[in-house]
Amino acid sequence: MNKTNSIIEKILKKPVTDHVVITSEKLETHSVRFSNNSVNRENLCKLAEEVRVEVGYDGRTGSFSTNELSEDSIKHAVKMAYEAAKLLPKDPEYMPPVTQAEAARIKNFKPVFGKMSDGRKYGILRDAFKELKKAGLNSAGSFSTTPLTFEVYNNNGVHVSHSNCVSSLTLTAMTENSSFRESHVSKDFSDYDGEAFISNIIKHAQLSKNPAPLEPGKFTVVLGPSAVEELLLMFLFYNMEAKGIDEGRSAFSKRAGKRIAADTVHIYSKPDHETASLSPFCPNDGMPFIGFDMIKNGKLARAWYSRYYAAKKGVQATGRYPANIIFKGTNKSVDKLISNVGSGLYVNSFWYIRLVDLMDGIFTGMTRDGLFRIKDGKLTGSVNNFRFNQSVFDLLRDTTEIGKEKSLFSMACASMPPITVKNFNFTSKTEF
Amino acid sequence: MDNLREIIKYLEGKKARFADAREHHFRERQIMTEDTRVEGINEQSVSGTGIKVLYENGWGYASTSAKDMASLKKAADKALSLAKNADKSAAGKVELAAEPRHIAKFATKTKEDLFGPGVGDAVAVLIEAGETILKGKDIIKAGSYLVFRNVKKKYANTEGSLIETDISTVLPMIDATARANGEVKSRHYWPAPMNAGYEYFRGLDFKTNAERIAAQAREHCFAKSCETGATTLILDPEHLSLTMHESVGHPTELDRVLGYEESCAGRSFATTDKLNNFKYGSEIVNFIADNTLEGGLASCGYDDEGVECQKWHMIKDGILTGYGVNRELAHKLKLKRANGTTRATKYCDVPITRIPNLYLAPGKKTLSFEQLVADTEDGIYIEGMGSFSIDQMRLNMQFGGDAFWEIKKGKITGMLKNVVYNAISYEFWRKCDAIADKRSFKRAGFITCGKGDPMQAAQMTHGASPARFREIMVRRAK
Repeated sequence: MNKTNSIIEKILKKPVTDHVVITSEKLETHSVRFSNNSVNRENLCKLAEEVRVEVGYDGRTGSFSTNELSEDSIKHAVKMAYEAAKLLPKDPEYMPPVTQAEAARIKNFKPVFGKMSDGRKYGILRDAFKELKKAGLNSAGSFSTTPLTFEVYNNNGVHVSHSNCVSSLTLTAMTENSSFRESHVSKDFSDYDGEAFISNIIKHAQLSKNPAPLEPGKFTVVLGPSAVEELLLMFLFYNMEAKGIDEGRSAFSKRAGKRIAADTVHIYSKPDHETASLSPFCPNDGMPFIGFDMIKNGKLARAWYSRYYAAKKGVQATGRYPANIIFKGTNKSVDKLISNVGSGLYVNSFWYIRLVDLMDGIFTGMTRDGLFRIKDGKLTGSVNNFRFNQSVFDLLRDTTEIGKEKSLFSMACASMPPITVKNFNFTSKTEF
Repeated sequence: MDNLREIIKYLEGKKARFADAREHHFRERQIMTEDTRVEGINEQSVSGTGIKVLYENGWGYASTSAKDMASLKKAADKALSLAKNADKSAAGKVELAAEPRHIAKFATKTKEDLFGPGVGDAVAVLIEAGETILKGKDIIKAGSYLVFRNVKKKYANTEGSLIETDISTVLPMIDATARANGEVKSRHYWPAPMNAGYEYFRGLDFKTNAERIAAQAREHCFAKSCETGATTLILDPEHLSLTMHESVGHPTELDRVLGYEESCAGRSFATTDKLNNFKYGSEIVNFIADNTLEGGLASCGYDDEGVECQKWHMIKDGILTGYGVNRELAHKLKLKRANGTTRATKYCDVPITRIPNLYLAPGKKTLSFEQLVADTEDGIYIEGMGSFSIDQMRLNMQFGGDAFWEIKKGKITGMLKNVVYNAISYEFWRKCDAIADKRSFKRAGFITCGKGDPMQAAQMTHGASPARFREIMVRRAK
C-alpha cells in the first residue's frame, strides 16, 4: 500500500459525514508527437496522481480534486468539499455512496499488458519514418502509452481498484496534395505488426494522391471503423441519457418502440471486452459497469441510466456513460465490403462532426485523410473531400453490410466495424 | 523561484542548449445547474512543474507534481533523456528566436478574489436564473455553467528570464430549452468570458436575460423554416467570435501552417507564400491580434516561452499580414521575434502556439447596428453560436446559430429556424461589405479551444461589431 492509500484509509476511519467518497487516479503517460517525419516538441512524460473527494451532507454534495497528496492536503480537500456541500441547496437527485453489496457485483478482470520501453517506442517511430521517407511521404501523428490505475474508496468500506493500459499509435501519411490516416490501439503493442501497418498506410497514401474532382450528392459508402466511431459515438452521447429521453430532449423521445436501425445493427457495452476496456467500475463512484444492449433488433434496447434515474425508474443502473461501446462486427474484412460495392466511396475518417438537429439526429462533418472512389468493387483513386449533413437514424436504417471490428480510443473505449451504407448525404465539397 | 533556478542550472550543466521550467498552479471551480438543482460542482487545485529541454535538436518535456528537488531533478533527467531520443530523428537545426531577458510580474486586474465569496453565493444567482427561466411558457429545461479559474505561474529559463503571472478568469452561461409546436429549441445567454475578478460576475444581469432567453426559446419553436439559397447575412459579435475563431484564428497558427498539427487539429490553407499578398477578406476586414488587451482571456503578460505578449495585425485591409508564431518557427518567416502566444493549460502540458485575443476591427464609417439593418433589403440576422464545423485545411465551413430572424425591407421581422450557412472561409470574408462602428463592438471568447496531443484547452477573447455578408449559401437544416 502506498502513502496516498494509507492517508485515504486513515481519513475514512473517521469520516466527516456519512458520505465521503475518495477516488484516486494514477497514470504515467509517455506521449511522442511527430510531424515532418521527426519527433517534435510535444515529446512528453507525465506522471500524475490525483484524488477527488466527494462529501455529502444532508442531501447535498460537494467535491474537490487535488494532486497535492500530503495528509494535510487531502484533509483540506475533504474540508473544502464539506464546506461547499453545506452551502448548497438540497439536491432532489442526491444519491448516497455505493454500498459494499453494490460494489461486490463488480466483475473485475486483469487485462494483459506490459510496460513498453522508451527504446521500443522511438524505435517503432524511426522505422516508420525511414519507410515513409523511402516512399516519398511525409508523416505526422502521435504515439502514446498510458498505464493507469483507478481506485475508489468510501465510508461504506468500499475499496475497489483496477489497473489498465491504453497504447495508441496514430499516423497520417501525406503526399503533396492528399493524406491517409491509420491507427493501432492496444494494451501494450504486443500485437503490433509494424511492417503490415506501415505498408498499408503507404499503399493508401499513394492511392490518395491527386484527388479527382467530384460533385456532392448521395452515395453508397463504406465507412471505415474510425468514421463509424466518430459519428456514432457523437450521436449516442447526445441522445442516450434515459432522463433526457423521458423529458423530450432526445432524438429517441419521439421514437419509443419504433424501428431505428437495420436488424443487423447491434450496439452494446461489455466492460471486460478483450481490447476495448478500461475499467469494470465507474471511476467516479465505484458503481459496477454492466454489460447491456443499446440498439438491437432494429430498436432502442436500453438507454443509459444514472444511479439516481435508475432508482427512480426501478431499473438497473448502466452508469451515466457505459464502460465502452461495441458495434458488433462480422468476420468480413473491409476489402470484402468494398468488393461488394459496384459504385460508391470509401470514407476512411470524418472530422469536426457537430450536431445540426437534435430531434432528427442530423449531424454535419467533413471527410478527412482518405476518401476513395469505389468502382466495380475496387478502390480506384481518391476524390476531393466532402461535407455531409446526415441523419444517423437514416444511416442505421440504411446499413447494408457490416465488417470486422477494430478497437479504437478517441472519445471513449470502442470497438467498431466498417459498414456499408446506402444514400449517404454529402452536401458540399471543399478545395482539396 | 529558487527551485526553478536550480533546475535550470542543473540542466545547463547537462549541456542542454535551452531549458525552461514552469511552476504552474491551476485552481478552478465549475458549477453546473439543471433547473433549480446543482447538477455538479467540480473544484480542482492542480499544481506541478513542467520542464522543457532542447538537447542539440531534440525536444523533451517532463512534469511532476512533487516539489522537492530530488523529484524535480528526476523530471529534468527524464526531459533530457526524451530530448536525446528525439534528437536522433531530428529533421534539422532548431533555431530559437531571440527574446529579451525578462524579470517581470503580471496579474489580471481584479477587485474581488474569485474564490473569496463562498460557492453558495454564485449558486444562489444561478438557481434564481433557473427559476426565472422555468417560469417561461413551454420551458422544459433550464441550465447554467459557470467557471472561475485562477492560474499562477512561475517561469525560469536558461536565458535568465524570471517571470511570475497570476491570471483570473470568469466564464458564465445560462440556457433555456422550450418544447412546443413539435419542436425542441434552446437559447443561451453567454456574456463575454473575461479575465477579471468576482466583481465581473456580480455585475451581470441574469434575471432580465433569463426572461429574454426563455421567451426566445419558445418563439423559436414556432418560427418558420428558412429557405435554401444565397442570401445576405448580418451576424452579431457573439456569432462572429466563433466564425473568426475557426476561419481566421486557427488558420493563422504558424505551427499548423507548417504541418505540426497535421495529425490532429489539421493544417491551413493560409500558407506562408500567401503572407502579405493573399486577399483573405474585403478591404474593410481588419483582424487584430492583441494579447495586451485588458481583460482579454489570452492576456497573460508573458507566454509560456517567456515571450512578452504583443499586438499585431493578422489581416490588414483584407490582406493576410501575420501569424501566431512561437520561438522555434519565427525564423521560417525571417522574424526576429515570436509574438507571445504560446501557452500551456496545465503543468503537465507542453506550451504550443494558441490563437491570441483576436478581433474584427469595427467599421471606420459611422454605422449603427440599426442603420446596418435598415440598409439591408432582405436577409437573415443571426445571434449566438450553434452548430459549427470546418475542414482540416480551414476552408469549407458550416455554421448554425443560437437564434435567427428574417430581415425584410430593412426591418427585423419574425424568427426563423433550421438555418445553417455554408461557405469557403476566405470567400466568406471577401463578401463582408459592411461592419458596424465601434459603438456596437462586443467581446466574446472561449476557454475550451482544443489543440495539441494530448489535447489542451486554451482560452482567448474575440470581438466584433455586427457585420454584413452578401450572397452566402443558406441551407434549411432539415
